[in-house]
Amino acid sequence: MKNILIIIGVLAVAGGIGAYMLYNKPHQNMEKAKAAFEMSAESLFSEYETDESAADAKYLDQIVQVQGQVKEVTKENGIVSVSLEAGGLMGGVNCELDELTKHARTDFQEGETVQFKCLCTGMLMDVVLVRCVEQQ
Amino acid sequence: MKQSLVFMLALLSVSAIHAQKYFTKAGNIAFFSDTALEKIEAHNYKATSVIDLTSGQMEFAVLIKAFQFEKALMQEHFNENYMESDKFPKATFKGEIQNLSDINFKKDGDYTAKIKGKLTIHGVTKDIETTGTFNVKSGKISASSVFNVLVADYGIKIPTVVKDNVAKEVKIEVNIDYEELKG
Repeated sequence: MKNILIIIGVLAVAGGIGAYMLYNKPHQNMEKAKAAFEMSAESLFSEYETDESAADAKYLDQIVQVQGQVKEVTKENGIVSVSLEAGGLMGGVNCELDELTKHARTDFQEGETVQFKCLCTGMLMDVVLVRCVEQQ
Repeated sequence: MKQSLVFMLALLSVSAIHAQKYFTKAGNIAFFSDTALEKIEAHNYKATSVIDLTSGQMEFAVLIKAFQFEKALMQEHFNENYMESDKFPKATFKGEIQNLSDINFKKDGDYTAKIKGKLTIHGVTKDIETTGTFNVKSGKISASSVFNVLVADYGIKIPTVVKDNVAKEVKIEVNIDYEELKG
């Protein structure tokens, strides 16, 4: 009887710790995450322009590594976003730097070629990539 | 000569009308769910919005997956279980300013706008009415609004286990700095 109580107690504590850890589980570490796709900003944008729902099915929630030329950098509310040239008149590929990663740099020159590893969230005017970390 | 002057003037006025559109790709939309058990908030800094100052029409769009939470587990539940963001990746609002004549976009100041339109979340479209504030300052236009949304109105099911953790009514805050759309 006493043994059963001990077992139940141990299970309850383990369950509690497990639940607590699950509740507090960290966000995916973007520096370590492996990219499922590697491509140019231009081809990601054109896939989205051609068929948005097909592109969503392929890229939503996926880690995508994009390469492109910096069109514009904005810093608002502490959020750094880098727009990459993608051949569109109004739209491009917008990369929001990850808030949880310490970045080697947050300044980028217009026209320089950069590479980011990000999480794809879909397309509005731009293809919106979040949680980006720069890749060398 | 006179004719060409008239033509020039006409052209100028047309371009002036064209310049009446403002937009952003970096709008901030946040929501807050507040219960005795848990406070949840999420932020999205990538909302797009277009406003036509001449007609008072406005549109917003936001990607559900671009909402970021403090806790990874909540973000996961939000996307997979509540919002089904694979199926419904966007939320949109299309509406109109009802009291456009009360707002002078050329003069600095704060203006209260009555806004009416259709809000689509989780694939469900509802008519909503709310108020917002336009701030005009040296040619720059920004807008903000706070309103509440009933989760059940949009067919979002909260499982019984966490029904005390997630508010039935969620507060939504919108903050937009518009840029002139040159075209």
